[in-house]
Amino acid sequence: MKKKFIGVWATFAFLDDTCDSITSLRKANFKGITTHSPFPQHEIEEALGNPQSRVPFFSLIGGLKGCFFATFLICMATLDWILPVSEKSIISIPSSIPIIFEATVIMAVEATVIGMLLLIYRSHKKHLFPTSKTYRDYTRFMRDRFGVVVPCKEEEIKDIQAIFQSYQAEEIYCEK
Amino acid sequence: MVEVTYASVNEDILRAMEPPKKGWWLVFYIALILLAMGAVALWYQIVHGLEVSGINNSIHWGFYITNFVFWVEIGHAGTLISAVLYLVRAPFRTSVYRISEAMTVFAIMTAGLFPLIHLGRIWNFYWLIPYPNQRHLWVNFKSPLLWDVFGVATYISVSMSFFMIGLIPDMAVLRDETKGLRRFCYSLLAFRFRGTNHQWLHYMRGYLLCAAIATPLVFSVATIVSWDFAMSSIPGWHSTIFGPYFLAGAIFSGCAMLLTIIIPVRAVFPGFKNIIKIADLEGVAKLVIFMGTLVAYSYLIEFFMAYYSGNQFEKSIFWFQPFGEYKLFFFVTIFCILVVPLLLWFKKVRTHIPSLFVISIVINIGMWLERFNIIVISLAHSFDPHMWRSYHFEWGEIWITLGSFGWFFMWFLLFIKIMPSLAICEVKETLTPPKRRS
Repeated sequence: MKKKFIGVWATFAFLDDTCDSITSLRKANFKGITTHSPFPQHEIEEALGNPQSRVPFFSLIGGLKGCFFATFLICMATLDWILPVSEKSIISIPSSIPIIFEATVIMAVEATVIGMLLLIYRSHKKHLFPTSKTYRDYTRFMRDRFGVVVPCKEEEIKDIQAIFQSYQAEEIYCEK
Repeated sequence: MVEVTYASVNEDILRAMEPPKKGWWLVFYIALILLAMGAVALWYQIVHGLEVSGINNSIHWGFYITNFVFWVEIGHAGTLISAVLYLVRAPFRTSVYRISEAMTVFAIMTAGLFPLIHLGRIWNFYWLIPYPNQRHLWVNFKSPLLWDVFGVATYISVSMSFFMIGLIPDMAVLRDETKGLRRFCYSLLAFRFRGTNHQWLHYMRGYLLCAAIATPLVFSVATIVSWDFAMSSIPGWHSTIFGPYFLAGAIFSGCAMLLTIIIPVRAVFPGFKNIIKIADLEGVAKLVIFMGTLVAYSYLIEFFMAYYSGNQFEKSIFWFQPFGEYKLFFFVTIFCILVVPLLLWFKKVRTHIPSLFVISIVINIGMWLERFNIIVISLAHSFDPHMWRSYHFEWGEIWITLGSFGWFFMWFLLFIKIMPSLAICEVKETLTPPKRRS
């Protein structure tokens, strides 16, 4: 069962305030910080320490799978029904390249999409989020506001509130 | 000049999705009428067979394959703009790429119909797909026509995936901005996206990879379509220049089609003028100039190659183009794709929206005729004079061609009312973020 969220979340109108508050929180050794922004921001990623995604791994696996599948299909089909075309070899490498390439591309893209959606879904499960109605119904994160969510112990809530206040957060909510 | 803010971007784009007005319904009905005409002609052709079309023993590819090449290549520009220009961070891409991606998807959906229509026995379409069957027969993997099946199928799939993943953050915006049933539908398509750093991280990496993988696809599919022709021995087709020539032509016609679509959209929705700037349209126009120059070079070099090769059949076909029975088509094509685009070299013309619109339509007409010339003229004047024929297109082919435009615009009109026509999150990315310290 997923742990109950205890922590603080705040909204910001300015990007630099958001980044500064994240840097301060990381310096104060708070882990599991989640941010919200209406679009991807390099400054926020930098403040969070440039985490890496595993999506490329899915693309690689998908691409290899497509390549091997198409090679197998062509070899199997051409050997099953021998169709001599002028002087060309029965399994012709040059004429197989377009199909192998297309199969590699299609499977790489589909694997990338599936991997990306799985990781997005997993991130939702893996990280702790506030459960309050205020948080769930807050619709400005995708509009024009930045947000920072910090899970913590009950006794740390005041420290986090102080950090958020020092960077002029618009709204601060505590959840116990 | 109105100041563009994060909130105003949402509002401007959402305003375009309000319930349609009379103008939208009028255009939508016209599209439906055209589509109905195409459907009637197709039904008539299915009942009576391909004899009702103008194709014959010599000219076995006519309007349908012309339409196939025309639409599939319209689609290439969309992927070029959304994927290639994303990788090179072209500044004019952001405001136009969503419409260009939608154009790609609908153009490929249209293109995909034509090989099926051309089959005649449309219900046997699945014979094109390699699968274990009772006939114990596999498809010929050495045939460029099969490469085309794989190429177009991959292209449809990849362009749709790319289009859909681009929509995810915008679906989240729509979910947060709407109520009731619409909110429910958009929340399903948003995949629980709330703009967290973890989600953006995976999303951006996935999007970048899809763009990187889709980029070679633009080049490969245009080349594979050209190989439908170039791999044969027909004079006028059997040429190594066809790959780059088709690619340049594809991007040329696709960018022109994008201008044809985006200029009315920009005019109808006033908020879009703040986002789709004249400089963005000029950027697309410059791409048209560049690709038009490549097409012009290819066109001229083809004639030189025919002359310099000393091959009498090649010479004959290139003599037949300007002086044979299809000379009218040839000269109209030359006028539309080689002469008219020269006007875009003047800044005053390419920044004058009505001129840009008219030129884009002329280029579209020219590029359709250019495909017609490649296909029909070469087949009409092949090796053996005994096989020389004329092509007289029939009413059914014209109706089906008009129907394809109805089909394309029907989807496009539905798209602009259901989905955001501009990429909300990416447009916001181009704005200066709000900072307390200036």
